[in-house]
Amino acid sequence: MDTAKSIPAVRVKNSKRKHFRNSRVLLLMCLPAIVFFCIFAYLPMPGLYLAFVKYNYTDGIFSSPFVGWDNFKFLIITGDLWRLTFNTVAYNIAFIVLGNIAQITVAILLNEIRKKWFKKISQTLMFLPYFISAVLIGLLAYNILSYDYGLLNGILRSLHLDPVKAYSEPHLWPFIIVITYLWQTTGYGSIVYFAAIMGLDSEIVEASEIDGANAFQRIIYIVLPWLKPTFIILLLFSLGGILKGNFGLFFNLVGANNTALYASTDIIETYVFRSLMTNFNFSMGSAVSLYQSVFGFIVVLTANWIVKKVSPENSLF
Amino acid sequence: MSRFRKLTISILIAVMVISLAACGGKKESSSAGGDTSQFVTISFVVLGDKPKNGQFEKVMEKVNAIMKEKINAELQWKWVEWADWQTKYNLLLASGEPVDLVTIGTDWLDTWSNAQRGAFLPLDDLLPKYAPKTWKEIPQEDWAQSKYDGKIVLIPENDYTQWINHGFFYRGDWAKQAGITEPIKDWNTIGKYLQWIKDNKPDVIPYDVQASTSNFGGWVQSYTPHLELPISTGYMPIFNTESYDDRYKVVSPVFEDTFLDFAKLMKDWADKGYWREDVLNNKNDARNALRAGQNGMDSHHTQTFSGLRVQMDKDQPGSELMMYPFSRTSNNLLEMPITHGGVSLGAHSKNPERALMAYDLIRNDKEVYQLINYGMEGVQYDIKDGKRVLPANYNETNDSFYSDFWAGRMDKFEIPSDTTWDKIGTMYDEYDKIKKPYPYGQFVFDKTAIESELTAISQVTGEMGPAISYGKAGDPAQAVQEYRDKLKLAGYDKVIAELQRQLDAYKAQMDSADTK
Repeated sequence: MDTAKSIPAVRVKNSKRKHFRNSRVLLLMCLPAIVFFCIFAYLPMPGLYLAFVKYNYTDGIFSSPFVGWDNFKFLIITGDLWRLTFNTVAYNIAFIVLGNIAQITVAILLNEIRKKWFKKISQTLMFLPYFISAVLIGLLAYNILSYDYGLLNGILRSLHLDPVKAYSEPHLWPFIIVITYLWQTTGYGSIVYFAAIMGLDSEIVEASEIDGANAFQRIIYIVLPWLKPTFIILLLFSLGGILKGNFGLFFNLVGANNTALYASTDIIETYVFRSLMTNFNFSMGSAVSLYQSVFGFIVVLTANWIVKKVSPENSLF
Repeated sequence: MSRFRKLTISILIAVMVISLAACGGKKESSSAGGDTSQFVTISFVVLGDKPKNGQFEKVMEKVNAIMKEKINAELQWKWVEWADWQTKYNLLLASGEPVDLVTIGTDWLDTWSNAQRGAFLPLDDLLPKYAPKTWKEIPQEDWAQSKYDGKIVLIPENDYTQWINHGFFYRGDWAKQAGITEPIKDWNTIGKYLQWIKDNKPDVIPYDVQASTSNFGGWVQSYTPHLELPISTGYMPIFNTESYDDRYKVVSPVFEDTFLDFAKLMKDWADKGYWREDVLNNKNDARNALRAGQNGMDSHHTQTFSGLRVQMDKDQPGSELMMYPFSRTSNNLLEMPITHGGVSLGAHSKNPERALMAYDLIRNDKEVYQLINYGMEGVQYDIKDGKRVLPANYNETNDSFYSDFWAGRMDKFEIPSDTTWDKIGTMYDEYDKIKKPYPYGQFVFDKTAIESELTAISQVTGEMGPAISYGKAGDPAQAVQEYRDKLKLAGYDKVIAELQRQLDAYKAQMDSADTK
């Protein structure tokens, strides 16, 4: 938590040069991150111009003819943009809200476990799903949900219950997708919260125990408020990507051809994949990514503005 | 302003300027001239998975020995592997990488669009000088089909017989037991065959199909005189022409009753359980299942059938695999475009001259040709009674060889093989009787004005096509109506008008060529 303490120091009005010299080491440590963002975030930015040209290989990005907003047209023509944006945002809100709740819960529970070996083992086990590729998850899901040969329907049949046609029931899929997402990311995401709890001053906890606080009171009045800044920062970060769907998860769970499920599972990424796979149009692809980025940018600014109003000390900037 | 801030800002500016420069910079071609004094490596983009058993390298060593001697160069295959090949192939062309020879195909590798994006080098001036044999052998009317915007951009595979018209493959033994003694001629008889399997073979899925391709194109071929146009609309062809006699009139079978009939029949097949309930998510390979005796039907083109029949005779003796080509129902069959295969030069090729010289050799030097297509005699094949047979000590894993050279095969150098069905000629005869010349070889569709609409239409076909094609979209009439409405919304009318305009112009061009 040393870095957290040094942030207020940055704000102290001082001779800038002296300040620069004082934080040389810190800046040096930031350097890899700065270089990373320069190369992968700032350097490609002029390429966004691609969204406004009719790109051809010989002329390159900046000499291809300018066409204005034409590349955005295909998103709007069929009136799908609203449905896609809604689906994408709704799924991401579910992921962010439920994901964080699950992660915080798991982190607190892990913290309450006294047996060290049990804590270690359960942490590792929860970690594992994160490293399974989306392709395999899609395959696992198919083997569980398949109508003719799936595990789930096998069990249902042996219990003389009606099998479920999971792959033709769009309303089931929001649940399937969210549950899969939680299964995959909760263990990994809880680490950040767990680390934050570790940083909690044990004297405060002991003091509360002496004052007679029980486990629940300790969690509600000490641990949760302590986690608030972490939560807000993670929230702001994830809001930026609210229009970016988890393509791998959706594509592999739903499959490329299961059009019966699109009403509830189609997100911007899968739509774009379908539209542009056959035509291979860079400009239209860039147009979509520009839309997503601008939307995300606005959401982050708004969220940060709200945070600033509500609890100024937790805002990002 | 603080020095620190100045520093960061100037770094950022520098970074942006560098990136701009990097994007805008043009490469200069370092042409080596017509002389062959300098040894160069020629890359050849082919589609396929890189062979792993080392035989390919051994063969190429022999090929390159000849290449070195004759033109002081060596050939290097650049494999575009099958997984996600479309993206990789287009990306390779888009990247500006200096590739030399590139496999093309106007009907499956999106060659005209790539030519439009400037991916290929014009060949008019180079051909007579550096590929003189090829230049002379290909007749002018075939060169005319190889032009984009008045310039030759590809060398067609114009001298090779193959049929890639599609159809269903079914088992002759089961068809006979089902009381179907004649070769199948229509989709209803196919239905009867599938029903027999459903009733009599509990362990077999009648048609274990994946929903990744639609059979609607085949249906149109069977039940209408419509011709397919070389225009991709994603999952399902939307635009056809009326008939061979009225070949410049655009129609859309999706907006005709025939589409509803198709949707109804597929719903019927789905409800009867001819394919899996989860057909839309099925990933089981139909061909492997057929070979394992767990599937009753597969579909692909004649070329595939001729090899599969031989394999099936081994895997399922007595299965008598048959093919019902979709053309059989109403004799609607076009010859293949000669630009189904061919070669182009990459726009950034460093040695276009030597690349053409190498290509001229592959195509016209019997030894090089047979090495590249068949491998080494005695290792990959022996010749027996004028046919290629596998050598006695041939081992599939260690000795198999392929080069996926589909860019200018020549009938005159081909040696028949015993892995092709020996009665495939009967099918060729059937086709030869009804085939009509391919009328759209010189038609280059310019998508510029309707790119957004075409993209939106591709999206709609991908969104609704599979469910309708496999009877999973609920009530067919309603689904078809919804599909049509969505296509209209996506700009169907605008595209069909533009297409008709271009076909009218094409008609004028062809008519004037005829009167010359």
